[in-house]
Amino acid sequence: MSGNRPLRRTARRSPLRQLGKGVLVALLLVFTLFPVYWMLNSSLDAQAGNTSSFWPAEPTLDHYVFVLTEGGFGTFLRNSLLVALGTVVVSSVLALLASVAVARFRFKMRTQILMMVLIVQMVPLEALVIPLFVQVRDLQLLNTLIGLVVVYVALALPFGIWMLRGFVAAVPVELEEAAYLDGASWGRMFWSVLLPLVAPGLVATSIFSFITAWNEFIFAMTMLGGATESYTVAIGLHSFFGIHSNDWGAIMAASTIITVPVMIFFILVQRRLASGLTAGAVKA
Amino acid sequence: MTQQLTETRLRKTLPRLSRARAATVRPWLLLAPALAVLAVLLLWPLVRVFLFSLQDYGLREITTGELSWIGLENYAEILASPELWTVVLPNTVGFAVLSVVGTVAFGTGVAVLLASLGTFWRTVTSSAIMAAWAMPAVTGTYVWVWIFDADRGVFNDVLMGLGLLDDPTNWFTDRWSFYAIVLLNVIHHGFPFVAVTVLAGLLGVPKEMLEAAEMDGAGAFRRFFSIIVPQLRQVFAVVIILSTIWDFKVFAQVYLMPGGAGSNRSVLNLGVWSYVESFGQNRYGFGSAIAVLLTLLLLAITAVYVRAVLAEEER
Repeated sequence: MSGNRPLRRTARRSPLRQLGKGVLVALLLVFTLFPVYWMLNSSLDAQAGNTSSFWPAEPTLDHYVFVLTEGGFGTFLRNSLLVALGTVVVSSVLALLASVAVARFRFKMRTQILMMVLIVQMVPLEALVIPLFVQVRDLQLLNTLIGLVVVYVALALPFGIWMLRGFVAAVPVELEEAAYLDGASWGRMFWSVLLPLVAPGLVATSIFSFITAWNEFIFAMTMLGGATESYTVAIGLHSFFGIHSNDWGAIMAASTIITVPVMIFFILVQRRLASGLTAGAVKA
Repeated sequence: MTQQLTETRLRKTLPRLSRARAATVRPWLLLAPALAVLAVLLLWPLVRVFLFSLQDYGLREITTGELSWIGLENYAEILASPELWTVVLPNTVGFAVLSVVGTVAFGTGVAVLLASLGTFWRTVTSSAIMAAWAMPAVTGTYVWVWIFDADRGVFNDVLMGLGLLDDPTNWFTDRWSFYAIVLLNVIHHGFPFVAVTVLAGLLGVPKEMLEAAEMDGAGAFRRFFSIIVPQLRQVFAVVIILSTIWDFKVFAQVYLMPGGAGSNRSVLNLGVWSYVESFGQNRYGFGSAIAVLLTLLLLAITAVYVRAVLAEEER
């Protein structure tokens, strides 16, 4: 932050300029936050759907109580948490191992593998959902959370590898050399030198996988179609909307419950997440 | 002193010999689990979706495992369908172009604004942006549907309150206003990534270069396009690739809107069309063929970008 002080000193600070900037910031904040505010506002208003009011006309928590009990969101939250944590654990381990391989070793096919990792991220989910539906069905894993974790690991893995390889590449090779000089084996070096230094990247990747699994919709809809008790939050909200399509207060309360954990996560780790995305994506 | 040096040199060369052999096997050992997962869960399904697209693959075929090959009939049916050319393809491609341009332009503008703010306002604004980013696509879509709801949405209420609208309008039936709402949703959800990434790049541009240019009389626009854009070429490449990938794959944002799940044929895009043909009509072969076309379209577009990025990296 201190690096840009010279720039600000030279910037012209005319009052008009400051005012213009203030207006732009205000507009940006309104555009960014209005949907979030509107969701909260409606979820807390017993009159939501009857009158448009910019603050809760009749404040209440009833929508939340209804959604968590009769709406079934207690179960959906638990399911989503299990699926997301399962996805994080499995995909982080696999992505870390693979990213060390592509970041630290020069071997035949390295470029081809990197290319493949990039290309599979482009494949639309609509193209995967038909064969994976058949595959998961053949394994008798339809309507199970394990079937969903298996699919989500595959979805989160390419981006995880791509992101982590930037973090691994950023660890100075000299540190590894020093470990070898001290007589450490490769495995020892991996645990004591590489892993602690890559930990921030691992956190960023884990959050990304968590959110991928938490938010995913098309596979949850396709593979959990028959079993309400195994619904994740995304498909739970979809089915809730189908039943209570006019109860906007409750729909917004359910939406808030789904969104808030992700939002807190994002704000807590914002700097790390941003540097993670750019590090993985930009650094060679 | 000299003795110590030779000793370290010895210890340095000894493990190196054995390490050379390990270095050829080790990367493959490390890659094996990830490659296995990618092969079974991404590559094999891709082969399969192509094989399905050459069959009359329905519920009967799924349950019995029988195969009925029909060659390119599915593709012929798709390409002969007037709906593809007048509705589905324009919706898919037109929307993707607009949303990539919109997201990248808006996100970059926001990044420039953020870079010019003091620490306090930058923190406040970027936290707000994080909140928009964190909103899951599914909940975000329902919030926009609620805002634009015909009877009780706040958008219609405000317009009628201002006297700009006489009767409640259903914005979801018309193809253009439908996609305008999707565009708003997608830009709102997608610009934070662009803004945060470009901001990180902007803060890394050497200040001396900008100051020197300013002293030479370069205006703000000139400084942006002549110094910042070339410095951030790689950042922009990444941002554009990822936005293209994400925006072409927009599914929930369309599917969850009123009429978006196939009942309003004029708002179909390739992804939703493929899904409703497969899982709605049980025409999995036909749906697969649509999905294959969508995949090819995406691959063709992104292959260009990928080559650019990899070429940059190998240099």
